Amino acid sequence: MSGDEAIKVMVVDDHPMWRDAVERDLIAAGLNVVAVAANGVEALARFPAAKPQVLVLDLQIPAPNGVEVTAEVVRQDPSTRVLILSASGEQSDVLDAVKAGATGYLVKSASREELLDAVRRVALGDTVFTPGLAGLVLGEYRRLLDEPATDDGTPKLTERETEVLRLVAKGLSYKQIADRLVLSHRTVQNHVQNTLRKLQLHNRVELTRYAIEQGLDDE
Amino acid sequence: MFRALAVLRIVLLANTVGLTLYRLDNFTHPNAGLALLALMVVWTIVSIWAYDAPRRRVPVLLVADLAIAFATLLSSPFVKGDGFSATVPGFWIAGALMAWAIHWRWMGALAAATVLCATDLLIREEISQTNYGHVFLLMIAGPIVGYMCGSLQRMAAERDRAERAAAIAEERARLARAVHDGVLQVLALVQRKGPELGGEGVHLGELAGEQEQALRSLIRQQDTLQTPGEAPVEDLGGALERLGNRRPPVTSVVTPGAPVELPQDVVGELVAVVGACLDNVAFHVGEDAPAWVLLEDLGDRVVVSVRDEGPGIATGRLESAAASGRLGVSESIRGRIRDLGGSAELFSTPDTGTEWEFTVPRPTE
Repeated sequence: MSGDEAIKVMVVDDHPMWRDAVERDLIAAGLNVVAVAANGVEALARFPAAKPQVLVLDLQIPAPNGVEVTAEVVRQDPSTRVLILSASGEQSDVLDAVKAGATGYLVKSASREELLDAVRRVALGDTVFTPGLAGLVLGEYRRLLDEPATDDGTPKLTERETEVLRLVAKGLSYKQIADRLVLSHRTVQNHVQNTLRKLQLHNRVELTRYAIEQGLDDE
Repeated sequence: MFRALAVLRIVLLANTVGLTLYRLDNFTHPNAGLALLALMVVWTIVSIWAYDAPRRRVPVLLVADLAIAFATLLSSPFVKGDGFSATVPGFWIAGALMAWAIHWRWMGALAAATVLCATDLLIREEISQTNYGHVFLLMIAGPIVGYMCGSLQRMAAERDRAERAAAIAEERARLARAVHDGVLQVLALVQRKGPELGGEGVHLGELAGEQEQALRSLIRQQDTLQTPGEAPVEDLGGALERLGNRRPPVTSVVTPGAPVELPQDVVGELVAVVGACLDNVAFHVGEDAPAWVLLEDLGDRVVVSVRDEGPGIATGRLESAAASGRLGVSESIRGRIRDLGGSAELFSTPDTGTEWEFTVPRPTE
């Protein structure tokens, strides 16, 4: 695929065999692996110099964990894309990472082609959803609805977004969804992206509110 | 326990000291009375100190405590004359009684109360209604306090045990997570590398894939495990995860990430219905066919969708089957959902495969 040379990737995983396997696959496909790291400290130390476009990140790494690393790199450079590559079905972790700014999620058993496809799509700004993540996000929006509303800032899904997300959760590809709802592929993609963006924005607002309440904004 | 008793002892002592000084004229030997009073003050202080440390709460201390109470009681006729109405220590003796109750439970309390009450009655010339009342109350209250102390201590011990068990379980879960993560990493790697080796590797990769999914699902079920409550409720998400592990077909189960609790019979029925749908997929579409199950919790109702990408069901085929009296699988599925007060919708075209959507109301208490 053309343009792959430009994609700069950083791989963060504490399992050497995995780190090497992913790195090899990415290099073989012509991507540019600019850095690797085995834990959160290394990842954050090497990130500013390496300036990767995409961070392929395992959630279960020695502290700071994947969620914290996600939040920090997105804070430093909002144009960085984070693709979570997780072995365990740690549901709440995945949701936290997505809220912190990750735009892609893949289980480690995904094939080499799926991984390469995901890295390329995430680099382009697409969101990579698994059915499982769509189900989690749907559940999160419904839980937010049930919470006693503190203000009107609670994010809500539009009917269309709910419809699209449900189809993702039922295992349909973006193309199948576009065909079924008579939409363009791009529109489907935008709807999915919006569902994440609203959660991430809400998460930032909540964190800021918490910081102000705790008096952490004084410094 | 003994802290509370210390407070009680001081109150009782103050009461006795006050009454004694106020009615000193009742004493035939006031000096002896004051000496006894001093003894009670000293013993109260000593006993509060002594009972404070568990290692000092030896039988000798308790026996001494009771003996002093007994002695002060016994001295009443000698220092107050034969026709006294109130004993020298008065209610102060309750301190020793309560110590016995706390330390030796109701048996100790009963023994101490018997000794004190018998003494109280024996040293009197005549027994009034009031005397009887006091004795009766001591005999009843002592063992009750003893019994309650026993219960409280048992409950505290049980609570400690439960807290320890919870802490151990938490630590176990944490360790298990680390172990699972390592195993999942290897399984995923074998699954990914196997096919590249060719031959046996392909088979190994498939096996690793199956085990990986099974373990992943087990971990999710563990996360949604709950302590058995009083109502027979079950997590529908966990139950569907278990069902999804059974293959064929190759099912991916998507849940909202939090337990979806429903009465056990509703969960059982929904799992059976989804199982029937998956059987249909395996039979009509193929054993390797993929299937998707989505569970959504909408508060007052739950929605379960089952989807496949098979050839679908031709329009009119179900209706004609029903019309000719052959109520197939789909009718039994609809019937079961109807019995739960819900609705079943079937979308099926040759292009998109078959999709069931079941909406079942959450039963109100």
